[in-house]
Amino acid sequence: MPKPYLRLAPAPEDPVEFNELFARYGGYVARLAARLLGSGDADVDDVVQDVFWLASRRLYRIADMIQARGWLATVTTRVVRRRLRRRRFHSLFHASPSSDDVPASGASAEQRAILIRLYEVLERLPTKQRLAWSLRYLEGEPLNAVASACHCSLATAKRRLSAAKNVIDEVFRDE
Amino acid sequence: MSDRRWIVLGEKVDPKWDPERARAVREAITRRAERRRTAVRATFATASTGLILIGALVFVVRGRFPQPPARSTNAGVSALPAAPPIAVAPAGVVVVTPLSQDTVLEPLPDLSGRGFRLRAGGARFSVPHNAQHPFVVVAGTVTIEDLGTAFTVRYVGADRLDVSVEEGRVRVRAAGSDTELAAGATLRVPLAFVTESEPAHAPAGLAGSSWRALAKHGAYEDAHRALSEAGPGAVRDNGADLLLAADAARLSGHPADAVPYLERVVRRHARDSRAGVAAFTLGRVLLDELARPGEAIDAFAVARAAGGPLAEDALAREVEAASRAGEVARSRELALLYRRTYPNGRRTTEVSKFGGLR
Repeated sequence: MPKPYLRLAPAPEDPVEFNELFARYGGYVARLAARLLGSGDADVDDVVQDVFWLASRRLYRIADMIQARGWLATVTTRVVRRRLRRRRFHSLFHASPSSDDVPASGASAEQRAILIRLYEVLERLPTKQRLAWSLRYLEGEPLNAVASACHCSLATAKRRLSAAKNVIDEVFRDE
Repeated sequence: MSDRRWIVLGEKVDPKWDPERARAVREAITRRAERRRTAVRATFATASTGLILIGALVFVVRGRFPQPPARSTNAGVSALPAAPPIAVAPAGVVVVTPLSQDTVLEPLPDLSGRGFRLRAGGARFSVPHNAQHPFVVVAGTVTIEDLGTAFTVRYVGADRLDVSVEEGRVRVRAAGSDTELAAGATLRVPLAFVTESEPAHAPAGLAGSSWRALAKHGAYEDAHRALSEAGPGAVRDNGADLLLAADAARLSGHPADAVPYLERVVRRHARDSRAGVAAFTLGRVLLDELARPGEAIDAFAVARAAGGPLAEDALAREVEAASRAGEVARSRELALLYRRTYPNGRRTTEVSKFGGLR
């Protein structure tokens, strides 16, 4: 049987609806932002707003709801990185924000104390290392997802993770 | 701490994302989108308005200056716009710009657009020099002749006239005497009568008058005709009358007839203050209009010897005349003299060219 001269294009997927995207992944983006930032409500809401604002303008890049999660993780990481850098710059002129407002209402007193100490240590790490470590160990993302979200190669992601892990393990050796 | 324990701790970090927060963020995004739409609309409207304004401006500018106004030779130009032209005139075109709404200009007949009578107001003239067709402006009893220039003529009250030179030189003829003006100079000339009532051409009151009256009113064609009929005896033997007769001949397109008058001024009235100007004019007529460079050399030499503001130009033209006459050694010698005398002279380029110094 002769091959068809023209290959048929794949049928288009159903377009991603913004309302559905927001309803399904709003909570995920908020949790991811909170874990990466280690800070409370206002910062998290701003990040969620920025991420979905970008999503509303680039819906055409999101093929379907399954791919949307990875795309949102990447955008969230980028938005948080920008915010952390701004925060670090501001800390040169103002007092650093307190780590007491880590949004962990369900944690025990001991867990809360460790989290506050952890975010103090993360605050001193380079932003790229901090984000890679947070994605891997607080969010539980696999290595390739960490590399994708950080927009770097797998090797680079591993290098950043290793550097951050050495510091954190040293600080919490006795915990 | 183990890796697993960090993940358990991470799960404890939870911002409590509830429907209320989701709704607030959703509304903020909606407001942001609305602001962006407004900003885009405002930017688009501003850009459109700007483009329309630029287009209108280009249309107006192009529409206003489709051609230099002074090229008209049949009608008066009192209706020309008062604002200065923005368009760049092509080479060889006379540009006349009235300086006020009450400016009244009329072209002089038989001069092919290279002569105007200023009846009122003021005007700026930008004129490429043409030795064969000198550009003249007649204002009352005053005649201004260009020597390659841009200049302004303006009535100041009813009895005075201001002539200002921006580039090049002009010759102002008033009350029988000539004054050469260089760039940057302004001359205030008294007028003998109110010009508004002055007739345009061969005034009726002067019909049948002497060539002298006609020439003084800029009717050179009629003046030359009257002079030809009256014969050479009609010209008095003084500098003013001889120069006026020469102008009547020259400006009516009969340069050869001007030569005897100019030669008489140079030879018989060498002490007259106008002798230098007469010699220079004679040189120009001989060189530019009659192609007699050999004689022009001597005329320019006399003009140079007379000194004054024309000396530099006279020497430069002497170099040119010598070159055109084929006197190579003399033109080179004169060119070297020019360089020594005027190290920063404004005619250095052409002198070097004609003197073979390049």
